[in-house]
Amino acid sequence: MRTSVLGLVCLAGLLYAVPSLTRGQESKPSDQNQEAKLIAVLQSDAPRKAKADACRLLAQVGTKKSVAPLAALLADEKLAHMARYALEPIPDPAVDDALRDALGKVKGRSLVGVIGSLGVRRDTKAVGPIAALLKDSDPEVVQAAARALGSIGSPPAAEALERAWDATPLAKKIPIAEGLFRCADCLTSHGQRDRAVAICDRLIKEPTPFQVREGATRKARLLRQEQAKGL
Amino acid sequence: MSRTGPRTKKLNRREYLKTTAAAGVAWLAPTIIPASALGRGGTVAPSERIVLGGIGIGSRGTFDLNWMLPEKDVQFVAICDARKVRREAVKALVDKRYGNTDCKMYPEIREFLTERPDIDAVLIATGDRWHAEATILAMRAGKDVYSEKPSCMTIAEGRAVVETARHYGRIYQTGTQRLSEGPFVSAIELARTGRLGQVQTVRAHIAPWDAAEMSHDWLPEEPEPLKDVVDWDAWLGPCPWRPYNSTYVRGGWRGHYDFHTSCIGEWGAHTFIQSQAGIDALNTSGVEYHYVKNATGDGMVVKFGNGVQMVLSRGDQYWHGSCGMRFEGSEGWVSVADGYPKPEVSSTELLEDGEKLLADYLERTERPMNHVRNFFDCVKSREVAVANPDVMHHGMSTVHCANICMWLKRDLKYDPVKEEFVNDPEANRLRTRAQREPWII
Repeated sequence: MRTSVLGLVCLAGLLYAVPSLTRGQESKPSDQNQEAKLIAVLQSDAPRKAKADACRLLAQVGTKKSVAPLAALLADEKLAHMARYALEPIPDPAVDDALRDALGKVKGRSLVGVIGSLGVRRDTKAVGPIAALLKDSDPEVVQAAARALGSIGSPPAAEALERAWDATPLAKKIPIAEGLFRCADCLTSHGQRDRAVAICDRLIKEPTPFQVREGATRKARLLRQEQAKGL
Repeated sequence: MSRTGPRTKKLNRREYLKTTAAAGVAWLAPTIIPASALGRGGTVAPSERIVLGGIGIGSRGTFDLNWMLPEKDVQFVAICDARKVRREAVKALVDKRYGNTDCKMYPEIREFLTERPDIDAVLIATGDRWHAEATILAMRAGKDVYSEKPSCMTIAEGRAVVETARHYGRIYQTGTQRLSEGPFVSAIELARTGRLGQVQTVRAHIAPWDAAEMSHDWLPEEPEPLKDVVDWDAWLGPCPWRPYNSTYVRGGWRGHYDFHTSCIGEWGAHTFIQSQAGIDALNTSGVEYHYVKNATGDGMVVKFGNGVQMVLSRGDQYWHGSCGMRFEGSEGWVSVADGYPKPEVSSTELLEDGEKLLADYLERTERPMNHVRNFFDCVKSREVAVANPDVMHHGMSTVHCANICMWLKRDLKYDPVKEEFVNDPEANRLRTRAQREPWII
C-alpha cells in the first residue's frame, strides 16, 4: 500500500498529473465535430462567455487540433485562464511546446498561470527556463516557479530549488520548501530515496520555518525507517 | 499555544511573564498582568491557549464559531473574509463574547496569514470552492485547520490537502461532526464490528433540495462593489472568472459547477464518510459507480472493493432526519439520522449492543463525542484527528466519482490506489480543474 501511495504522490501533491495518464487517447467522431465547432467559437467574435464555455468543453474533448487556437489566448488577460483550463488536460505534447513557448511572451498573472500549467504537466523540458524565473523580481512568479519545479520533480529541478533554498532569506523560504517537498515526494516515488532524504535534511537545517522543520523531520524519519526495513 | 522551534520564543516570553510575577517581582508591571494571563480564575494560561482565527465565516461558520468560543483554552483573535459585512459580523460576535474590541479584521487571506504568525489554528467555512485552497495556504503558513465540508472541489485538490498536511506536519479536521456523535458512532460500530452480520448494503443520504446536474450559466452582471465591501476576485479565488452578481455571495453559488459539489457533495461529504467508517473503508473509495437516469443520483449504487454496496438515497424512507444512513447486514440493520437520541435497530438486543460498543469506543479512543474538542485536543497533542486529511480525501473522492458518473451519464470504474478511472481518459480529465492565477496551489 505504501508503495502505491508513494507512486501517487506526484499526481497528488501536484494536483494534476492527469495528462500523462491520458496520453494517446483517440477522440470519437462526435467529439471531433464538436471540437471543430468549439475552435470556431474561439476564433470568432463571440462574447467572453461563449469562449469560456468553449474552453470548458475543450478541456473534455480537445486534441492537438485545439492547441494552437487555445495557445493564442494565453496572452489575452480575460481568457488566459480558460485557455489553460482547456489545455492542461489535453493529452498531446504540443501543449507542452505551446506553454513553453508562451513562457517568454506573457507577463504578470498570465505568466504565473503558464508556469503553473507546465508544472501540472510535469514538463521536464521546461526546467531550465522555469529555474531562471526563481530569480524573477515578481514574488508570485518566483513562487509559481518553485511549485512548478517541485511538481516536475526531476533531479535538475531539485538542484535548482536547492540552490534557491540556500540563497533565500528565512522569511521567503516557504515557497521554495514547497517545491522541495514535492521534489522529495517525486524522487521517492521513483526510487531515489537517498536523494529525498538529503532534501529533507537540508530543509531541517536552521534557519528554517518551524512547520517546514516539523514536516521534513517526520518525512526524513519515515524514509530512513523504510530504508532500514529494505523497502 | 506553545510550539517548538521559532515559536519557542513565544513560549519563553509567556513563561517569563508567569515566572517573574509568581516570584513576586510585582514592580515589573503589577497592573498589566491580569489573573487570566496567569491561568487563574478558571481561565487557561496563555501558553496553553490555542490562538484561533477564522477564514470565510458565514452562517455555518458562525455555528462552528459559537461551538468553539466556549472552549476555555481557545481564544479567537481575527477574522479574514472577502466580504466586509461578514468581517464585521464576526468581529461583533467575538468582541461581545470577550467583552473587548480586540478581534482584528482582514480582507485578504495572504496578508492575514503573513501578518498573524501568532495564530495556531484556523476555522475555514467558506463555500466549497475555497475550502481546499484556504486549507493549503493556511497549512503552509503553519496553521492547523478545521475545515467545513465539502472540503475539496476535485480529487486532485483532496490529494493536495493530504500532501500539504504531511509536508508541514499540520493537524486537520474536516467538519463531519457526526463522526463524533454518540448515535452515529454507535451505528458505525454495530456495522464495523460485525454485530449486524455480513453488511451487504449501506444507504447514504444525499441532499434532497439540490441536483447532481450543475449549471454553467452566468447570472446577469451587476455593478461590482468596492473591493473593501466585496473583493470579487478573491471571492472567486481559483474558479473561472465570471461577472459579479450579488446572488452568488449571498449563498446563491450553490448549483453552479464552478462553486459547488452538488447535492451529492452537500450531504455525501458527511454520509459517505459515515458509511465508509462502518464498512472499514475509510482508507479507500468506491470502485464502481452505476449511473441512474435521474437528476440527483438518487438510487446510484457505489460498490467498494470489499464487496459492500452503498446506495445513494435522496428520500428518508430509511430514516427520519437529515444526513441519515442505514447499514443492512445478514443479521440485522441499524439506521440513524440527525435528531436521533439513539439509533433505530432491527432488534432491541442491537440497541444494547450499540450502547456497549459506544462505551468501548470511548474507552478505546479516549476522545470526547465533540468534534471541535477532538480537533483542539489534537492541536495540543499532535495526534491525528478523527476526520483527518486521508479520511476526508477518500470520502470526498467517492463524492467526486459519483458526481462524474452523473455528469458523464454512464457507469464508471475507479482505482482508489492509483486514484484514476480505469481505462477511462474522458473521466480522468474531470479529476482536476486548472486553477485561476494567482490562486494556483
